[in-house]
Amino acid sequence: MLSQFSSKALLASALVLLAGAVLILNLGGYLGPAQEVILSPLAAGQDWVSQRYFTIRDLMTSPRDVATLQVQISELEAENAQLRDQIIALQEQAAEADRLGALLNYARTRPESRYLSTNVIGLDPSPFIRSINIGAGSDRGVVHGMPVLTDEGLVGRITEVTAGTSRVQLITDPASAVNVQLQGSRVDGLLAAQPNGELWVELIDQNAKVEPGELVLTSGLGGTFPAGIPVGHVVSVRRRDFELFQRAVIQPTVNFDELEIVLLVAIFQPLEIAR
Amino acid sequence: MTYLIGIPTIALLAILQTSLVSHLRLLEGRPDLVLLAVVAWALTGRGHEAMILGFAGGLFLDAFSAVPLGVSSAALVIVAAIASYSEGQFWGINPIMQLAAVLVGSGVYYLAVILTLFATGQPLDLQLAFGRIVLPGVFVNLLLALPTVQLAEGLLNLLHPPRVTA
Repeated sequence: MLSQFSSKALLASALVLLAGAVLILNLGGYLGPAQEVILSPLAAGQDWVSQRYFTIRDLMTSPRDVATLQVQISELEAENAQLRDQIIALQEQAAEADRLGALLNYARTRPESRYLSTNVIGLDPSPFIRSINIGAGSDRGVVHGMPVLTDEGLVGRITEVTAGTSRVQLITDPASAVNVQLQGSRVDGLLAAQPNGELWVELIDQNAKVEPGELVLTSGLGGTFPAGIPVGHVVSVRRRDFELFQRAVIQPTVNFDELEIVLLVAIFQPLEIAR
Repeated sequence: MTYLIGIPTIALLAILQTSLVSHLRLLEGRPDLVLLAVVAWALTGRGHEAMILGFAGGLFLDAFSAVPLGVSSAALVIVAAIASYSEGQFWGINPIMQLAAVLVGSGVYYLAVILTLFATGQPLDLQLAFGRIVLPGVFVNLLLALPTVQLAEGLLNLLHPPRVTA
């Protein structure tokens, strides 16, 4: 009994030490290739499961489409089970084409930039961190720091890149910060996510008149993000006389729970510093 | 044999956790499939195997996460070691003890991740993290605890059928 306990304690200690060594090597940046080896086969599985999940979710959350589909499927089942599968697959492709079309239209309005579209293949397993994994990596030209968006607005930026996948830090992650401008009042601020998931625009000039409903766009300052990408709408403003700045709570334009395809901005025109 | 099946299963659970289960929330909580599997396997009396599976599962989870590689491994090894403490004890098969093991395991796991995030400078509101992430997460894990242990016991009997002596 005692020897079994001590052998277990020994194994646990050895494994914790090994994990500690992995952690130190990783923080030192020595495990990039090893992490890529682990991630590559897993990412393929993650992509496969994600695509199936999105297909099923789309079917479940679109009542009108489901009703139509059910009629079609019942007819097709009687004819041929194989045809039913093809129709579901084609419908998913059509939905994907619609989403890509919307992204393409967005890209066309900004011909000075170069875009790359890719699928979202997973969310961060840690609930404390708001990041997503996407199915494009350095093989497709993704590099650290690239802005990520959809036709609805800003999503985040690339923080880690492997050969086939990349990690995107969402703008809702408390560690992210984005320079923004309020469209109506033309004042600059800093978008900072709160740990509770709220998005605040901070450092707004105390004299600026900010109205609820106002659109918040990226300002382009700092060169991290292109200017003019929608970020959200002002929901409420907090202005106190004794504070140096006012702040606004904003509702993001992007629905982060339903991200499926995103655009990566490969090349964009950085803002002139003397604007 | 256990590792031949266990490690791909843990990898599959990590994939499901990132691509499927993360989207499904019950009262804001998300189940930690890898953690549940490791605790359940430890509770079946295979403590050594659970620790190694926990180490591998942690690596898979951290590969998908912005959490530094190795953190979840260390946490899951400790969780497996704690859960396997009941190994060989008559009260180890008590459902209340199984729930307690998942409760303590979830607590240790979340604590390890929170401490790491603090150490790496990630902004974190402890009160909100506890109320909106840890508590709902532990609740969902507790809901799934007993079925997971049952499943693990079924798998154990399949992989290592009890010997029958004449």
